[in-house]
Amino acid sequence: MEYIALTCGFLLILIGIYGALTQSNILRMIVAFTLANTGVNLVIVGIGYINGRTAPILDTAVPVAEAATRIIDPLPQALVLTAIVIGVGITALMLAYAYKLFTLKGSLDITAIKELKW
Amino acid sequence: MAFEWIQIPYALLTLFIVVNYGFILNALIAKIGARVGRRHGIPIWQNYLDLIKNYSIRSSITHGVMFYLGPVFRLSGGVGLLLFVPTIYSSVMFSNLSFAGDLILALYFVFFGTLGMALGAGESGHPFAAIGVSRGLAQVTASELPFALAVFSVALQYQTLSVTDIVAAQQGSYLNWTLFTNPIAVAAAMLSFLGAMMRPPFDVVLAPQEIPIGPPTEYHSSYLALMQTNRAIFPIAKMVVYMNLFFGGAISWPIFFLKIFLIYMVSVLVGVVFPRFHVEHSIRWFLVWAVPLGIIAIMVV
Amino acid sequence: MVDPILLIAIPLGAAFFLGLLRDEWRTSAYVITLLTLAFVSWVSSSWLLGFSLDKIAPVEILTAGSEPPFSINLRMGLNESVALLMISLTGLLSSIYLKDTLFRLGRRAMAVLLVFVMAMCGIVLTRDIFNLFVFIELTVIATAGLVLLSHNTLSLGAGFKYLVASQIASILLLVGIIFSYHVTGTLNIDGMAGMSNVLIQTSPLAFFLLFIALVIELKPFPANGWALDIYESAHPAFSAILSAATATASLFAVDKILNIGGDNWLPFATGIGILSFIGANLFALAQTHDRRLMGYSSVGQIGLILIIIGQRDILGENYFFIAGGVLLAHAVAKAGLFWMSGLVNARELSAWTALRKRPMLIFAFVSFIALLIGLPPFPGFYAKWELVHVLASEGRIALIVLILFGALLETAYLFRWFGLILRHEDEAPVVACPSQKVAVIYSAVLLGWGLGYIWGELSGFGNLLYTIPLLFALLFLPLEWLPAKLKNTFAIMGLVTWFIVQYPAYDPLQLIFAAIILPGGALVLLASYYNSGRRIGFYPSALWMFAGLSMLIMAEDSFAFFAAWESLTIGSYFLILRGKQSQPHALSYILFSLGGAFLMLLGFALASEGNPLFPLTSLASVASDLAPWVFILLAIAFMTKTAAIGVHIWLPGAHAEAETDVSPLLSGILLKAGLFGLFVLLINMGKQQLYGVELTHVLLWIGAISALLGNMMAIYQEDAKRLLAYSSIAQMGYALFGLALMNHLGWLMALMFVVNHYIYKSMLFLSIGGVAKRTGTKAMYRMGGLITLMPLSFIAVLIGIIAVSGVPPLSGFGGRWIFYNAIMSAEYRLPMVIIFLAGPIAFLYLFRLIHTVFLGQLKDEHRQLKEAPFWIILPQMIYVAFLMIFALAPGLALQKVDGYISRFFPNNGLNWEGLTITSDFGYWSPVSIMIIIGVIFVTLFSWLLFVNRRAQKVKQFNIVYAAERPYRPETTHFAWNFFAPYRKALGFMTQPLVTRFWDTVAELLHTAADLLRRLYTGDGQTYAVQLLAFVVAVYFLGNGVM
Repeated sequence: MEYIALTCGFLLILIGIYGALTQSNILRMIVAFTLANTGVNLVIVGIGYINGRTAPILDTAVPVAEAATRIIDPLPQALVLTAIVIGVGITALMLAYAYKLFTLKGSLDITAIKELKW
Repeated sequence: MAFEWIQIPYALLTLFIVVNYGFILNALIAKIGARVGRRHGIPIWQNYLDLIKNYSIRSSITHGVMFYLGPVFRLSGGVGLLLFVPTIYSSVMFSNLSFAGDLILALYFVFFGTLGMALGAGESGHPFAAIGVSRGLAQVTASELPFALAVFSVALQYQTLSVTDIVAAQQGSYLNWTLFTNPIAVAAAMLSFLGAMMRPPFDVVLAPQEIPIGPPTEYHSSYLALMQTNRAIFPIAKMVVYMNLFFGGAISWPIFFLKIFLIYMVSVLVGVVFPRFHVEHSIRWFLVWAVPLGIIAIMVV
Repeated sequence: MVDPILLIAIPLGAAFFLGLLRDEWRTSAYVITLLTLAFVSWVSSSWLLGFSLDKIAPVEILTAGSEPPFSINLRMGLNESVALLMISLTGLLSSIYLKDTLFRLGRRAMAVLLVFVMAMCGIVLTRDIFNLFVFIELTVIATAGLVLLSHNTLSLGAGFKYLVASQIASILLLVGIIFSYHVTGTLNIDGMAGMSNVLIQTSPLAFFLLFIALVIELKPFPANGWALDIYESAHPAFSAILSAATATASLFAVDKILNIGGDNWLPFATGIGILSFIGANLFALAQTHDRRLMGYSSVGQIGLILIIIGQRDILGENYFFIAGGVLLAHAVAKAGLFWMSGLVNARELSAWTALRKRPMLIFAFVSFIALLIGLPPFPGFYAKWELVHVLASEGRIALIVLILFGALLETAYLFRWFGLILRHEDEAPVVACPSQKVAVIYSAVLLGWGLGYIWGELSGFGNLLYTIPLLFALLFLPLEWLPAKLKNTFAIMGLVTWFIVQYPAYDPLQLIFAAIILPGGALVLLASYYNSGRRIGFYPSALWMFAGLSMLIMAEDSFAFFAAWESLTIGSYFLILRGKQSQPHALSYILFSLGGAFLMLLGFALASEGNPLFPLTSLASVASDLAPWVFILLAIAFMTKTAAIGVHIWLPGAHAEAETDVSPLLSGILLKAGLFGLFVLLINMGKQQLYGVELTHVLLWIGAISALLGNMMAIYQEDAKRLLAYSSIAQMGYALFGLALMNHLGWLMALMFVVNHYIYKSMLFLSIGGVAKRTGTKAMYRMGGLITLMPLSFIAVLIGIIAVSGVPPLSGFGGRWIFYNAIMSAEYRLPMVIIFLAGPIAFLYLFRLIHTVFLGQLKDEHRQLKEAPFWIILPQMIYVAFLMIFALAPGLALQKVDGYISRFFPNNGLNWEGLTITSDFGYWSPVSIMIIIGVIFVTLFSWLLFVNRRAQKVKQFNIVYAAERPYRPETTHFAWNFFAPYRKALGFMTQPLVTRFWDTVAELLHTAADLLRRLYTGDGQTYAVQLLAFVVAVYFLGNGVM
């Protein structure tokens, strides 16, 4: 099970990066990065998963005493939340760039942004 | 050796003898050259006549201070060179003023007159003077090199820089002369000698010495008289160095006269046979033919 | 102490608070921003003081009420506090600098700025790897956010490229973090470091991803196109933060992460660092855009620090001293330069000429580039010294060579830039300098000098800022407003006083050199009275050079020697640059000199086997397998200064284009530094053999060839000062030859040359300089016939050339005499041949000099000329007197030295009894010679006066000229191409092969830089591909190596 998640995650990362590197439209690049981020998040969660255990929520179903043996690692799940937040932040920022570049240049083509070089 | 006042009259005596010998020798050499060319040549006392004529010319001009001083430098150079080297070996009378310095002093003092002369002629503003100097200096850098190497070789051979000691080492037999003990050095020096004597094939410059193109262009009257006197002294002074270093020196005046004459004849013999080189040719000639000899001389000593 | 957690909390809170403010309340928002940043700076500095003065222990700050690894912890230690102070001060100063911009952009920009600073502080403080990730991402967001606020398409494009790269980096980082966590079960950096073995064994890739993602944040070459674009396009104050603060924070992160990886990963850092340092500096060579150039320079410097991080296994307790020195120097300098670039309107390097009229800003610029390059007395200097010594003791020689090569590249473009500012022909209009911006720049300058002081204190080598000569030179900075004549008096008094004070401490050798440097320098400075006005920049530079020189001769250990050497190099560079046409020559001077200095550094480091305070006398006991190499390195270093053939190409231009009173300083005095070095080298190391080759024999050849070719080249010069300059090459060749003879008289001759060359070359440069001042040209064929108009200058030149040529009776002859005696006992004869050839050639150029300038035909336009100014003539006349005295009594200077040399070569000394000086081979009586020649001369002169008393002075054209009388001096003055036959015969020997060689080297480097930098295509996706390719390449190369 966790291998499926991990494989999917890496596949998504690769697809995302591939997209980001080959698509010349800025919006498509942003989407590609979102994809890659999702892949990363999937990997994180997939790492934390332990087969046959339950969600790390301490309630009547999982008493504190047995928690260590019965729940999956809660930390990656906490990390993933932060990662998602940051990912959203960056995606928003990229979108803002896309908007501003479009208003100033009238184009969303990344290959057209080459004034600065060498 | 220290200075004593009596050395001054002795030195003046040397000077007197050499000047007269120089006048006569120069005329003789000119005559020999003329005879080879099937001409009659000048009378043997011609230089005395010229000297008198030059001193009696009444018109006299100057282009400035250095112009005026040029001939003085020139003659001082000749006289100084003569006096810094002992003329007659083992004679207190004719050791001259050699207590002041050794061989190196003589070698470097040669340039004193040359430099002063060149400066004086330069002030005349005559371009020929400058052209002559530039040619002469250019040639002298190459022609003096084998001589310098030979001198160094001889100094190494005898382990001294004192002229007197070098002459002393050659006494006893003519086989002790450097000519036989260090023939390569002498060969190099004699090739250099050809360049120094301002005779063909190396006389296109004649610049530091006196010829129509070159420094004396503007000189006349008493200036020329001084330079003429130097022309009598300087070659002999130079040959004295050669004689002392390579040919055993002279222990008396007759031997002195003979040796000087013979040394002079070397350049005359070559000179009457060969045509002239351009300056650049003579530079190359010295570097190609004479300098290697000099190098061998200092390597094998 | 304030809780460091506030360093995070207060800026964050303030940022949120700014969001609540009304948009119109810009002043209050700005005040809040400044106060917050000031608070952060204050807190950091109070911690810094606590750590450094009160020696308190590093503090762990726990959060969320539990111990790590269950919560995030921060650590505050000395290094952290330094970095925090650096970051917060950069932020504070930048926001002061940005006042107008921030007012325009409003509170949002200020909030982002605060978040930016906070995030960087977080990177420094945190000990949690995921927290580190968060702070890094915050930095990215803040960076991109600040860039976004600009309305400039260029920077928007750059910002987007930056985000693309950061996205990839963050993906790598996150994957790395989660796998590292998976293996180690902790997110705490120290925890991970504890399980380093497990992590590296089971999953090296996880650690690699962590490591490389952080390295990418450092913008390593060549995966950094996006970063360069940001540097180029962003607001300079922002670039300042990026270069100074972000780099500091990122380096901190890499340093922490390497704790996890352990020493095995250090070579990765070293390799990437070297690549960045050399690559970026190489590319910068081809830059004409100022901010992009600074960007490259930043990348290079960070590469250097990465190298240092890579060496921390061997640096031990010096690690922070070295890394910190370079890091802080870079941060201050780069921030300062970026701030300065905001004052300049256009972006070409030449636009910086606008600063030319602002000496304070020029001083700032100089301080910054000196900080970057690591010149004394700045921290980089101490750090470089220590680093190279440690590396040498560990045998990492190749690394030293690479570092020094990169540093030389950096020197090249920075000093070229500086040269352009002062000497570019177009001058940009003076820019408006808002006072708050200028204040920010000056505070960076102060900070830089302050760091120099602190590092001097920390170094343990002695603080250069305590040395009196350097302080004296610095004293002239605040005195710059005084008139030049007054400053000149101070300078002269200073030099003389220092000589008197130091006099008892000198041994005879030092005394000779000190006499030339100090009273000798004062004598040359007499000529400077000629200058009116304030002459800004002259005195600090000149005295900096003098300080270096006077410290050099007193140096007892390698550090003092090297510091003095670099000081005199820098001082003289500024002096040279003062010449109107001297920009390219000054550049080649500084490159050759610093190149030489780097070789010296390497040489000392090798010799000392890691002892940074290596006594010079211990050079005698260097291990025998190293000794010849040390000898070669040091000898080359010294020969760059004496301009031995091969490394001479800087000299002619530098000496010829310098100002009238600078040329004698350079030629008469500065060249002697190299000779002093060679003395020290030979005294201590003596003869050395490498593969059976006697190295002093090689020096003998170099000296001889320098003498020959220097003279040869001198005779073809049309420019009088160039002629003199080439002649100096030859004269130094003689001196080198004398030293390399390795016998008593050889050394005596070298010393004689030291004294003689000082006197006559200073004199000649002054006379020719005076003539050039009057005629307005240095071309000899445009002069002529000046003897009557400038008689005193003529006399000086006449005496000078007699002395140079060695004609009796002047002192030059003494040199020749000693020379002949010296070679009598020399072991090698072949090089003498060359010296013999060189000797008479000197006559050629000397005659040309005096003839074409003073004799021949006077030009019409010069008929009204006056003698050179009094103050230029005065020292010349003093020199004439000196030459006469020295000619009569050479024993005054030489006898003591002769005795001193007997310590090293007891045999073959001279006998000084009576008037005659005798050697083993010959004798020489200066007084007799002078009297005899004088008497003969005077007698003949009187005779001529008597017989020729009616001589008439005639006019200029009264000459016999093919029966015509010429009226044009131009056509009658024989001067151009004076030695044409010589050129025909031997011109092939003066083909500019060496110049061509060095030109080709420079050309190759520039072409390579220009071609290779096209790697940065400008395409954001290409950059991303390069980045990934870089990661993959590092992984495989690294694994291949490990």
